[in-house]
Amino acid sequence: MDLRVPSGWFFTLLGVILVGMGLITPDARAALTDVNVNLYSGIAMLIFGLFLLLMARLAAGKSR
Amino acid sequence: MKLAPVDYVILATYFAMVLGIGWMLRKRVSTSGDFLTSGRAVPVWITSLAFIAANLGAQELIGMAASGAKYGIMTAHFYWIGAIPAMVFMGLFMMPFYYGSKARSVPEFLKMRFDEKTRGFNAFMFAVMTIFSSGISMYALGLLLHLVLGWNFTASVLATAVIVLAYTYLGGLTSAIYNEVLQFFLIVAGFAPLAILSCAKAGGWHGIVSRLSETPAMTHSWKYIGNASDNPMGVEIFGVVAGLGFVLSFGYWCTNFLVVQRAMAADSMSAARRTPLIGAIPKMFLPFVVILPGIAAVALAKIAGPGGAHLYELPMKLGAAGVMVKDYDQVLTTLMAKFYPAGILGVGLTGLMASFMSGMAGNVTAFNTVFTYDIYQSYIRKGAPDSHYLAVGKMTTIIGVALSIGAAYLAGYYNNIMDILQFVFGVVNAPLFATFLLGMFWKRTTANGAFSGLVTGTFGAVLIWCFTVAEGKGGVFGHLYEFRSTMAQNFWIAIVAFTSCFLVTVVVTTFTAPRKESELEGLVYGLTKIRRDENAKWYERPVVLAVFVLVLAVILNIWFA
Repeated sequence: MDLRVPSGWFFTLLGVILVGMGLITPDARAALTDVNVNLYSGIAMLIFGLFLLLMARLAAGKSR
Repeated sequence: MKLAPVDYVILATYFAMVLGIGWMLRKRVSTSGDFLTSGRAVPVWITSLAFIAANLGAQELIGMAASGAKYGIMTAHFYWIGAIPAMVFMGLFMMPFYYGSKARSVPEFLKMRFDEKTRGFNAFMFAVMTIFSSGISMYALGLLLHLVLGWNFTASVLATAVIVLAYTYLGGLTSAIYNEVLQFFLIVAGFAPLAILSCAKAGGWHGIVSRLSETPAMTHSWKYIGNASDNPMGVEIFGVVAGLGFVLSFGYWCTNFLVVQRAMAADSMSAARRTPLIGAIPKMFLPFVVILPGIAAVALAKIAGPGGAHLYELPMKLGAAGVMVKDYDQVLTTLMAKFYPAGILGVGLTGLMASFMSGMAGNVTAFNTVFTYDIYQSYIRKGAPDSHYLAVGKMTTIIGVALSIGAAYLAGYYNNIMDILQFVFGVVNAPLFATFLLGMFWKRTTANGAFSGLVTGTFGAVLIWCFTVAEGKGGVFGHLYEFRSTMAQNFWIAIVAFTSCFLVTVVVTTFTAPRKESELEGLVYGLTKIRRDENAKWYERPVVLAVFVLVLAVILNIWFA
């Protein structure tokens, strides 16, 4: 099993959930937050998840 | 702090994920070696991240933010002068013997190099220690979840323990290691936003420095270390460099089977040596994720908000004698409540749970290996077929989790016993490091020398703790000396434990007969061929990596001096 696949999917999913939260409730704030933290951290997790999946795809292509 | 449905969804997804990884890896377990040592087949990037994640339990996460708020950037010494040099030493100089000897555990290496009684002593100490540390950490987590979310203590402790049991039982060490990598990512994903938000709100690093200008030692790691009375940690430079930097850190990172086991699972000698070296790179940046929020919290507590009150107040609890004292352990969770809306709050909480699970799985997998190979196979039943040891290993996993739960309840009832235990865990590896240093680099060292040194160092440390006092702890038998802080006490006792073990080992060795050199091949420096890796690409050579890591660590030390 290539660990990059399940963790890639996991972070992609987390990213989608957070970006969704950031878009649906863009004004969601805690007491001290000034920015749409769900949107930004969601985008970061989405990129990270897709990066892991891409790496796994490249590694699988090489070994074939 | 109140959770929204989306936070529960994230938490549930994570739980499904760890169980799924365990389920997918169950087919890779057919021998006791697969289950307990991963069959030495794990890729290097995975062992490297697992190497640092196994140490990053919930207690460390909560404790580092707490220490950040209490002692400031000096807490980073645990990383920049503590862990990093030790990890480099481990990869360059000790891994060739650990991996090359084919030992399955640290106690087993002691048996190969010295004798049965040295192994027995270490295996027994280690088994007890892992159970209690996972119990103490479980207690800390259960208490925190109860305080912050109002969750039932028993229910949350049992639920997390059962999940850890399920995935380690299914996939053994491989499953624990794979999940530790996911857990490491999640810890960073859950807490890096908190570090960025809290630091930005406090005006960035410069803002923090100027807001804490009355207590400049909070933002300088080396400047105020000349005299113990000048810094909040109550330590001076010798205690930090020799006690923390040399003895405690080298002892922990080089001899604690919990972390060494991760490197031993690597798929080649070169990968095993690079495991701590590659792990050191993310490790040295972790202070920015785990310590920085604590320092930012203190700065935020000095900023007046719109209503006149401060933006943030350090959490308080009822201390001894009915006086309110600061409750640093709640800094991390109260910051999360202040900065995280629903969504990212779920990720943060999941990160906290993940850290707890990685720490606990680390303890459980180290415990079952040491118990199965070093206690059961050595003293209870020798020479059984491998399938028997696989069954014992699996059974030990269940027993280990059950004992940890018992220890968690014990921790709640007997706080004083836990003080002693926590102290013992802190210094138990200090004398052991002297034993390994002599054993690996001085071929004359004898088994009786090592054993007497180890026993002297270990019990000597406990005895000193019983006669000295710091912050109202210790001094069970008497009051001969008072340290400025428990940190200083730990550092100095570690120095004494190391030195006494070293001296006793050397003295007894000179009076006892050495082993034949032919028996020590592969175990001792000078009698072992170490591959130079000339054919490896430059970035795959351990020495190149080590130099890179050390230069980065020096830069960080100077930057925040």
